[in-house]
Amino acid sequence: MISNMLRFPFSMLDNEMESLFYPTSFRPLKGSMQSAYPPINISTTDKSVDVYLFLAGMNPDDIELVIEKNMLSVSGERKLPDATNNDKASYRQERFQGSFKRVITLPETVDTESTHAVYKDGVLHISIAKREETQPKQIKISAK
Amino acid sequence: MNAENKEVATQESTAEEITLTPDTDIYESKEGVTLFFDLPGVSKETLDIDVDQDILTIKGKIDLTTAKNMQPTYIDVRANVFERRFTLGDELDSSQIVAKLDQGALKLSIPRLEKHQPKKINIKVA
Repeated sequence: MISNMLRFPFSMLDNEMESLFYPTSFRPLKGSMQSAYPPINISTTDKSVDVYLFLAGMNPDDIELVIEKNMLSVSGERKLPDATNNDKASYRQERFQGSFKRVITLPETVDTESTHAVYKDGVLHISIAKREETQPKQIKISAK
Repeated sequence: MNAENKEVATQESTAEEITLTPDTDIYESKEGVTLFFDLPGVSKETLDIDVDQDILTIKGKIDLTTAKNMQPTYIDVRANVFERRFTLGDELDSSQIVAKLDQGALKLSIPRLEKHQPKKINIKVA
């Protein structure tokens, strides 16, 4: 994973590339400061939209999850208490530290009232059901 | 004519799987070295920590709860295996590694061999 600092000069290009490859309704909106943390994967099924956030070592109480209209936002602060010890020499510091926020625009088809969020093994999995009337239905054909 | 085919076949068999490099912090103290790895999605069951001579290998598989017929829509994490190797200095005691995994965050503590630990010498006043 490339650090946020390294990514910064290319963030413009990044946005353009994303708009080419991903439908606009799913494009994560970039925050002004920490844009790349945490990494996100989004998958869809006929019944739901599933968002996975890769956020290792957090206390779930320190993660704020808000859905407003069709915007899903995940924010919080990642502290690394073990890192702030003065009698230690540091050789490498790659892990993300500080506050983060990522915002995802959800498609119009979701029912934000039925959202489930589970934090397991450092991955926050948010599952948002699609509205019943937008789910594909199989229609029986009767023969005459 | 055959040689060409052979070469292609060899390349294919040596192709390595795509792996992610976990973000890592390393700290050193008098007692030893502490390493921290970010391995989101890796559980105790899918994590392998291996020391072969002086090479420490961390390998973990991301195991997500998925539903049937999922279609990826947006992807930041493009592989499902983390892997990273480190060479351990010979002053470290690789038989005494302590590992702790909590919510995808791995902490490894490797102590120094006793003879390399600093000793305090008491001076007697004659």
